[in-house]
Amino acid sequence: MNTMRSSILASAALLALVLGGTAQAQEATQAPNMTFFVTSAGTGKGADLGGLAGADAHCQMLAASVGAGNKTWHAYLSTNTNSSNPGATINARDRIGRGPWQNAKGVVIATSVEDLHSAGNKITKESGLTEKGGVVNGVGDTPNTHDMLTGSTMEGRAFPDNVSLTCNNWTSSNFGATVVGHVDRRGNADTVFQHNWASAHMTRGCSQPDLIATGGAGLFYCFATN
Amino acid sequence: MHSSVRLPMLAGVALLALGGIAQAQQGPQAPNMTFFVTSAGPGKGADLGGLEGADAHCQKLAATVGAGGKTWHAYLSTNTNAAAPDKTVNARDRIGKGPWQNFKGEVIATSVDDLHSDNNKINTNTGLTERGQRIPGVGFILNAHDMMTGSQPDGRAFPGNMNMTCNNYSSSNFGKVEVGHVDRTGLADTAQAHSWNSSHQSRDCSQEGLISTGGNALFYCFAAQ
Repeated sequence: MNTMRSSILASAALLALVLGGTAQAQEATQAPNMTFFVTSAGTGKGADLGGLAGADAHCQMLAASVGAGNKTWHAYLSTNTNSSNPGATINARDRIGRGPWQNAKGVVIATSVEDLHSAGNKITKESGLTEKGGVVNGVGDTPNTHDMLTGSTMEGRAFPDNVSLTCNNWTSSNFGATVVGHVDRRGNADTVFQHNWASAHMTRGCSQPDLIATGGAGLFYCFATN
Repeated sequence: MHSSVRLPMLAGVALLALGGIAQAQQGPQAPNMTFFVTSAGPGKGADLGGLEGADAHCQKLAATVGAGGKTWHAYLSTNTNAAAPDKTVNARDRIGKGPWQNFKGEVIATSVDDLHSDNNKINTNTGLTERGQRIPGVGFILNAHDMMTGSQPDGRAFPGNMNMTCNNYSSSNFGKVEVGHVDRTGLADTAQAHSWNSSHQSRDCSQEGLISTGGNALFYCFAAQ
C-alpha cells in the first residue's frame, strides 16, 4: 500500500517536474531588453497577417510573452506602392525606429537603419533568433523555415507599383505573391539575393502551403521602434 | 438520281471548307510588317516553350501573312541570372534596331530608345495582330490587353530576387509574369496602367490565370532584321 502510494506520489512529482519544466521554459525566456526578433510562429493564414496592423499586433503579442511588451513593436514589412497617393506608401525601413537593435540574447544585429541595410548587417542564423531565443530552421534543417516575409527591396523599400508583392498589403492568403528574405543568409545559389536577409526571392503564392513550399512558414521580423 | 444530287452537295461542302481555309491563309498579307501582337498564344498560358518557343511562335504567325522572311523575336526578358549575369536576356536587346511598323505600315517606334520613351506609338489602334486586327482592350467583354513581357518599363529583366517570367516562359504553374497594356489603359490612371510593357504581374502562369487579369497569353513580336 505504501509502496503504491509512493509510486503514485513519485509519478505526481514527475508530472510536476514536467509541468515545472514547461513553466520554466516559458519564464526562462524573459528578454525585456530585446529589441529585435523573428516571430516564432506566423499567424497561421499564410501571408494574410490582418494587414500591417495585424502584423504589428502579432509582434506585440509575442514580445509581451517574454516580458518585452512595454515597447512599441512593428513588423518589418512594406506595403504596395500607392501610385495614386505616393505619400501613403509604406517602406519597412521607415517604420522600425532608429536602432540599435538587439536580439533575445543581447547581440546587436544592426546599429542603425543604414547599417541594417548594408553589408555590415549582423543578422545570421545564429543571431536571427525568435522572441524566445530560439534558432530558426534554415537550409539543411527540416523543415526549412528561413523565408522571412518582407515585401521589400534589398533597401527595405516598397517595390514599384507595376508589381504587387505584399499579398494585397498582407490581407490575402490567395491572391498575389510576396518577397521574402533569408534569415540564415543562405539559399539554393551563391548569389547576392539568396544571401540577402530582406529580399531573397518571391513566394509561390500567399497561402500557408505556398509559403512552406519555398522554405518558409509565414514568419517575419519584428523591431522595437523605441 | 440520288447520286447526282449527293455529289454536287458533297463537292460544295468540300469546296466551301477548302475555300475557307485557303482564304484564311491567303487573306491578309503583310510582307513589310516588322511588328505585331500575336493573334493567339500557344495555348499553355505563359509556358511558351522558353524564349525559343516564343520566337518560333512569332516566326510561324509572321509566315502566315507572308512576313516569314525576317527573323522574328518575341519581346520577352528572362529572369536575371545572378550566377551568370551575362546570360540574362533583356527584351530590349533582342528586337533589332527599328524602326518597326505594324500590319498597316504605321511606325510604332523608330528605335529601341524611342520604343521605351513616351514617344512610343503603341496603342489600341496600332497594336495590331499579324492579321491586322485590334486586340480587345478595356471596355470589351473579353479584355485581352495584357501583353506578356516579363520586363521592367525600360525593357530590361527584373532583379534576381523576382520571378516575373513564369520560369523563363517554361511554366504554366509556377510564378508570375509581368505584362504591359497594349491599349495603354488600365484600372487606374497611373503610369503603370498606361505602360505598354510593364503594367502589372499576372495572377499566375496558367491560361486561366492570364485570362483572369485581362489577358490571353499574347505577346509582342518584332522583326530583329
